[in-house]
Amino acid sequence: MILASIFKRRVRGFRVIDLTAFVVVLALAFTVYAFKTFAGREGANIVDVENQIGVEDKRVRLLRAEVATLESPDRMERLAGAIGLKPVGVDQDVTAEALPQVATAKRKLQPVEAPAPDAASNQAASNATDDAAALSPAADPEARR
Amino acid sequence: MTTVGSFHNPLSPFGRWVGRGLWWIEHAFERARASGRAEDDTRLRIFCVLALFGAGFVVLGLGATRAALFSHAGGGAEFAQPAANARADLVDRNGQILAVDVIHWGVYVDPHEITRKPMVREALLEALPAIAPAKLDKILAGDHREFVIGDLTPEARQHIHDLALPGISFEEETARDYPLGPIGAHVIGFASKDGVGIAGAERAFDGVLRGEGGGPAPLSIDLRVQGALQDELQRAGDMFHAHGGVGLVVNVRTGEILGMASYPSFDPNAAATTDPAVMVNHAAATVYEPGSVMKIFTLAMGIDAGVATPDTLFDVHSPLVLPGQTIHDFEADKGGGMLPLKEVFTHSSNIGAARLGLLAGAGNMEHYFRSFGLFSAAPSELRESTHPILPRKLSQNIVATMAFGHAISLSPLAMVTGMSAVFNGGTYRPLTLHRLAPGQAPAPGRQVIQPSTSRTMLNLMRLNVTDGTGRKADIVGYRVGGKTGTATKVVNHRYDVTKNYASFAAVFPTDGPLNADRYVVMIALDEPHPTKETGGFTTGALVSAPAAGRVIERIAPLLGVQRIVLPGDTGGKAPVDPASLSGEER
Repeated sequence: MILASIFKRRVRGFRVIDLTAFVVVLALAFTVYAFKTFAGREGANIVDVENQIGVEDKRVRLLRAEVATLESPDRMERLAGAIGLKPVGVDQDVTAEALPQVATAKRKLQPVEAPAPDAASNQAASNATDDAAALSPAADPEARR
Repeated sequence: MTTVGSFHNPLSPFGRWVGRGLWWIEHAFERARASGRAEDDTRLRIFCVLALFGAGFVVLGLGATRAALFSHAGGGAEFAQPAANARADLVDRNGQILAVDVIHWGVYVDPHEITRKPMVREALLEALPAIAPAKLDKILAGDHREFVIGDLTPEARQHIHDLALPGISFEEETARDYPLGPIGAHVIGFASKDGVGIAGAERAFDGVLRGEGGGPAPLSIDLRVQGALQDELQRAGDMFHAHGGVGLVVNVRTGEILGMASYPSFDPNAAATTDPAVMVNHAAATVYEPGSVMKIFTLAMGIDAGVATPDTLFDVHSPLVLPGQTIHDFEADKGGGMLPLKEVFTHSSNIGAARLGLLAGAGNMEHYFRSFGLFSAAPSELRESTHPILPRKLSQNIVATMAFGHAISLSPLAMVTGMSAVFNGGTYRPLTLHRLAPGQAPAPGRQVIQPSTSRTMLNLMRLNVTDGTGRKADIVGYRVGGKTGTATKVVNHRYDVTKNYASFAAVFPTDGPLNADRYVVMIALDEPHPTKETGGFTTGALVSAPAAGRVIERIAPLLGVQRIVLPGDTGGKAPVDPASLSGEER
């Protein structure tokens, strides 16, 4: 009975059930259209981005190949030779513990009188010592590898 | 109710039930009219049809919405097949690129779109001199779009594109690029335009490189070591105008090949136009009579079989006379005529080695040399690994001759594979171009000599560098051991004394535990020419040993070998305690 009354109810001459069905169909159509449009736009964006990624990937591969060429051992060898670099000699390869002995040996070879102390020369000597310590292989274990 | 016949279903009562239902629906109008409410039937039918269509529309709408939201947009890219000739990157053990696919471009010409053909012809030939003019003329005179030239870099393509020539189009090609040029050319190998490996690692690992979704394939090669090895081999080859040359660096503990070089090298990017003879990987694909380097195996055999110790005396005062053959020593003065085995090694006495071989006998030689892999092709991923040339049987003469490295020809790769077993504690395992992961155990091998024999051989190698023929390979602090080899080559079935195969096999560091990382470096020059500096000689000691020493000096820091300068170690004179030759593990 309740079901029958739902089917019989009218508004302005139109059955409620017909109006409801019409509205539902419109809503469904609009929803599908909206989602398709939205998804289509996003899909197009995704394709664009993936194409860009593909292009960049190819460019990256080309750049990696160029880097490999620039870093090839024979090129590094030529460049190193051109600026006067040489392999580390046996007397240049020491441990940190051996540094005092190296300093002592050098001092024995070339005794030098200590200059008159002044602030400028003290600072310069301190800077030179720091620089030498920073550059020596003992200070940088990686440099000895 | 009017009975309108019956739905006769001879098969079952179910059929009759379905039939009654259908007829009940069909006769609903008559029933409605009979009850005086004909319009109810029509509304019912209309409602049913509406509901059916409505349900169908809802289902289709939901399906379309689901497809729009959850489909793989841009799935064309995912499902697109990779280029048929695509290959994964080949890298060294530290990830440095050895071979990589890059995008190149092919140029196509469509004569239908060109009105001013002479202008286009001139512009193309000027921009791309590699184009054959006759081929271009034929295409321009044709009636369809044709390929003109390929392998254009993106920059070259852009240059042609900027000319704005009519009828010119481009298509992507995947090309294999070898950015290092000649560095590692023989071990890396090359692939065809179709993406098939032809030689070297490209061929050895072809299946892996062509596999779908594969990442870079790391080799055991260390590019830094390869560069140093190849540079020194090139320098030695050029200095002595050698016909050919070989260089190898291997880790005897893991079996990894860190460097493999052939001289002269070539550019794999130009493999199509390179002389095939230059592209032969001599380390694996060429066999040589090794000469005195073979004494490493002879002594290992004799000591391990228990027929001799480093102090066993051998009579070398006069040539060894055999039926149809007399064996001489190169060095005449050997202090009295009776040499302990260790001095047979350091003097490189052929007579002493031959006597040791005869003492051990053909049975021991067959067993040990086969165990060292000297009688078969080196087991390797490289397809180029070639079989040795062997005598038909081990007669007395053959045993004596093979003991000092003649009567057998084998590849340097096979030699070094066997040497690895001598110096790693006695385990024979194939050398590999696969990089072992950190902590990964090496491939299982087979024990061929005792660890004590291995220790003795390491000490003998060191003694040969400090007090023997290998002095020129010594580098202060790296405890280098080594053995020289100078084999006269056979030309037209006769030994030609003007043509040598001069080699040096080094191992460092010779001290430390047997299961520590230790490296064999082999340098060999095929037919070197004498120079003023070598006094007119082309022995392994003079032409190959110095190159091996330079390689060790350059690569030892890269491999993490600590430099230990012993008191009195001035390069070649670090003393070796004779007691250390007992073979006891330290």
